[in-house]
Amino acid sequence: MDIKEYISSGIIELYVMGLCSPEEEKELEALRPQYKELHEAILQYEKDMEEKMLRYATLPDAETDKQILQQLASLNTPVVQMRPVQSTGLKFNWMRSVAAAAVILLGISAYFNYTLYNKTKKQAALISNSTSSPLPAADYTVITNPAITPVALYGVGSHAICRCTMFWDKSTGKAYIMIHHLPRSSSSKDYQLWAEVDGKTVNVGIINDAIRGRFIEVTNVPNQSIAFKVTLEQSGGAAQPTLAETYLEGKI
Amino acid sequence: MIFTFQFSRLEQKPYTETELVTALKSRDNDAYKHLYLHYRGALYNNILQLLPDREIAADVLQEVFLQIWKQIDKYDETKGRLFTWMLKLTRNMAINQTRVKNFKVHSKNEDISNYVSIIEERNNQHTGINHIGLRQQVHKLRPEYKDVIELSYFQGFKQEEIAEALKLPLGTVKTRLRNAVIELRKEFK
Repeated sequence: MDIKEYISSGIIELYVMGLCSPEEEKELEALRPQYKELHEAILQYEKDMEEKMLRYATLPDAETDKQILQQLASLNTPVVQMRPVQSTGLKFNWMRSVAAAAVILLGISAYFNYTLYNKTKKQAALISNSTSSPLPAADYTVITNPAITPVALYGVGSHAICRCTMFWDKSTGKAYIMIHHLPRSSSSKDYQLWAEVDGKTVNVGIINDAIRGRFIEVTNVPNQSIAFKVTLEQSGGAAQPTLAETYLEGKI
Repeated sequence: MIFTFQFSRLEQKPYTETELVTALKSRDNDAYKHLYLHYRGALYNNILQLLPDREIAADVLQEVFLQIWKQIDKYDETKGRLFTWMLKLTRNMAINQTRVKNFKVHSKNEDISNYVSIIEERNNQHTGINHIGLRQQVHKLRPEYKDVIELSYFQGFKQEEIAEALKLPLGTVKTRLRNAVIELRKEFK
């Protein structure tokens, strides 16, 4: 195939604009990994298009901005509030709210189940007892649970600015971590949580630090732990902590 | 003062594309705020090209960002840039909205022949449009190019449907589409 001719045939423009037929799309996607120049030409056109579109921008009014930003912020709010309906309200509306809330909860739950499943699958090979996932709903119940032991994790050495709070439920062996300040790990690194038990340092699990402003659930926290630390390890975690890379420490 | 400072930081695009996508996939609040502030103007302008009513366009914009939040896991970085994906989503949603609108106004038979007759009507409407963008460039193209882009890009019809509606061989539609986008690339600067 003459790849230069193919590149200049207009196919790239059609592809990026979403106007290819399914066959043309399939062909291009099969050729793309084989020809670097094709891949680069696609990227270039995408960048051009983006840059032009950003230039021809029309801003919505301030009210629209406010409304959409508020909605986006509320999507991340974990608690779905079901307010009691006024007695004058129609029963039909109440049923609709419950149905909508149920659908939202189901959606959120499905998403987190999926995330948890993937994360678990990825790490199972390396570290058998480590799981970490965001806690989907009702975060405040973590803090209000009387069985919870809060543990403040402070930055160590040059990482003094780092802060996390851990809420440890000894009865279930679960802990919920909130990141207040921690640099984002790169794709080749992961933060790993360790517990100190009987004078030994035991792996607890990987912390999915992409999750910000929410609780990250960690399971299998040893019941006799007296202290915790967080180190930065290679992606997937390590068998022993790299102490030079200790970011956080906290004692019960 | 502090608020202004933080706001301008958000506008400065503090993320690389990969960082942004990772943060979006983990439903990071700041990432969505950044995404909205950075891309709303471009996407809104694209919606306005199809739906000149600002209020309707704003509703579609809101729905677009909601769908981005819901569907972000479907976005595949190996297939293209985030903006390309968002633009396709935006275009589909705006087209759906125009169909809803036309369905109400025009006819119960939602087939392409109606749209071809609507093209002329719309072409006239859109010459007076204030929102400069791709569609204005398309309207500068010669008629046979303009029609195929109008039907495919702005109205979402498949190549076969266009061939049938314009009573042209499929090969001719394909050639015209390719030439049209090459021409457009030169013109749309």
